[in-house]
Amino acid sequence: MSAAAQVAPPLQPGRHFWRVFLIGGLISYRALFYWITPWQYIPTMLAAPTFQILFFVYLGRAAGVGSTAFFVVGNCIQICSMSGIYGMTMAISNERFFQTLSPILATPSDRLAVFLGRGLPVLISGFQTCCFGFLVSALILGFRPAPAQLPQLLLAVLVTSASCTGFGMALGSVGLRVRDVFLIANIAYFAVLLVCGVEVPLRQLPLPLRALAQILPLTHGIAAGRLLAAGRGGGAPLMDILLEGLVGICWATAAYLLFRYFERSGRRSGAFDRL
Amino acid sequence: MRGLGLHEALGWPRVVAWGWFYQLKMQAQSGFMLMTAVIQPLIFASIAMADQQAGNHGLPILYYALGAGIMGIWSTVVFGCGGALSWQRHQGTLEPLVMVPAPFVLVLMGITLGTATVGLYSMGATLLWAAVVFGAHVQMADPYLFTLGAVMTVVSLGLLGLVMGSSFVLYRNSNAISNMIEYPVWLVTGLLVPLSLLPGWSHPLAYALAPTWGVEALRSAAFGGQPLPAIGWCLLASLVYLAVGVWLVGVVERRARQTATLNFQ
Repeated sequence: MSAAAQVAPPLQPGRHFWRVFLIGGLISYRALFYWITPWQYIPTMLAAPTFQILFFVYLGRAAGVGSTAFFVVGNCIQICSMSGIYGMTMAISNERFFQTLSPILATPSDRLAVFLGRGLPVLISGFQTCCFGFLVSALILGFRPAPAQLPQLLLAVLVTSASCTGFGMALGSVGLRVRDVFLIANIAYFAVLLVCGVEVPLRQLPLPLRALAQILPLTHGIAAGRLLAAGRGGGAPLMDILLEGLVGICWATAAYLLFRYFERSGRRSGAFDRL
Repeated sequence: MRGLGLHEALGWPRVVAWGWFYQLKMQAQSGFMLMTAVIQPLIFASIAMADQQAGNHGLPILYYALGAGIMGIWSTVVFGCGGALSWQRHQGTLEPLVMVPAPFVLVLMGITLGTATVGLYSMGATLLWAAVVFGAHVQMADPYLFTLGAVMTVVSLGLLGLVMGSSFVLYRNSNAISNMIEYPVWLVTGLLVPLSLLPGWSHPLAYALAPTWGVEALRSAAFGGQPLPAIGWCLLASLVYLAVGVWLVGVVERRARQTATLNFQ
């Protein structure tokens, strides 16, 4: 066999994009997501969020604010950010930690495919965590959303998972430069509990925090989820879902631009993997 | 084999004290521990206090400030002590610590008590936050017993950390357990939610955990109740945790020596 015959023919550009997006994304998730084994996944991604839901439902009852549904919907949707924030931070900035960023950036692969591919498994993981939260809440707390609005509620959860993934992408990109990005990810995860109307009604927050909430993921998705769970369909929840999607797209775009910026500055200084 | 000398026994408190001091210094430099001990409790305190203001005002702000403070101590214990041995193993310092003549349990005790002490930041932070941001009237009815209660709470949580640190070491995914047990202990020990609102089956669990008695002691001292019984229960819990911790560390140490798995990664 000649040497020329041994070289595989180049893939069509479109196929190459999808291959990097799907297979590359899956491989990076398996390699970089700490909590993927059942021993990690069950306690961290399923049990801890369940306890979080219970904790805040009881806190709400003690304080006499909101209903059980208020806290169930808020927390069930918010727990997707565990996957979105931590998962994406791991999926991007751990390349730097494991010193594998340089080889990846040396390949000619489409950066958008490399970047977005990492988000898909994280998005799915976030979505299933939310669904698990709703299921557990139905079993333990007797939470019953309006059946007619269930498809739209699932849409709200999916869009919110996507916007949290976009937000996580931005944090992960920052991790290409900042030394301890997990500290920022931790603060972000807990800050959204306070700012995005998860545990506290937005009207209770000071004006600057309310303004900040509008540009953070979760705020609009949770608002839509609460309306839908209460059986109110129509334009208002749909508008919230659209806003949530827009917020996610903005964060993902900012994340991609940051990623490319850090790539270019890393090439100039020759220091992709510097810790 | 020679017996234990008086000189060596007198050195035991020194081992614990220096271990405590160095752990305190190291943890005070750690961004993660400061996040856990200061920022996270402030966020939870803010949530609870904002809910209180939006709700029925059934409980005073100070009630939540004290609870959130102990939540911070518990978080530092869970993450700092739960992973203490794993961290030493990761750093490559576990073997030297086991080899030194001082009993290993004393070395570990210094580490866990030092970690729990860092959690005191959270108490100071949440009390200050309650006063400055939420306008709470932070005045302790009995400041001396409040201080004694705070010290006993830290000691008992540090010794509970000794039990966790020595038992988690047998489990490779100890950080997953740490992630999982933070919320349930906050809930069942009544730090922000009164025990009377929780189901009855959870009460025996609450009574076995030191944060229940710690927060009870601090609230009694702050609001003018009788903190001494709760402080006494904290002391009793500390002694039980100490006995269990000493036994567990011995078991783990022997097992690791026999199977040569002290440094497995």
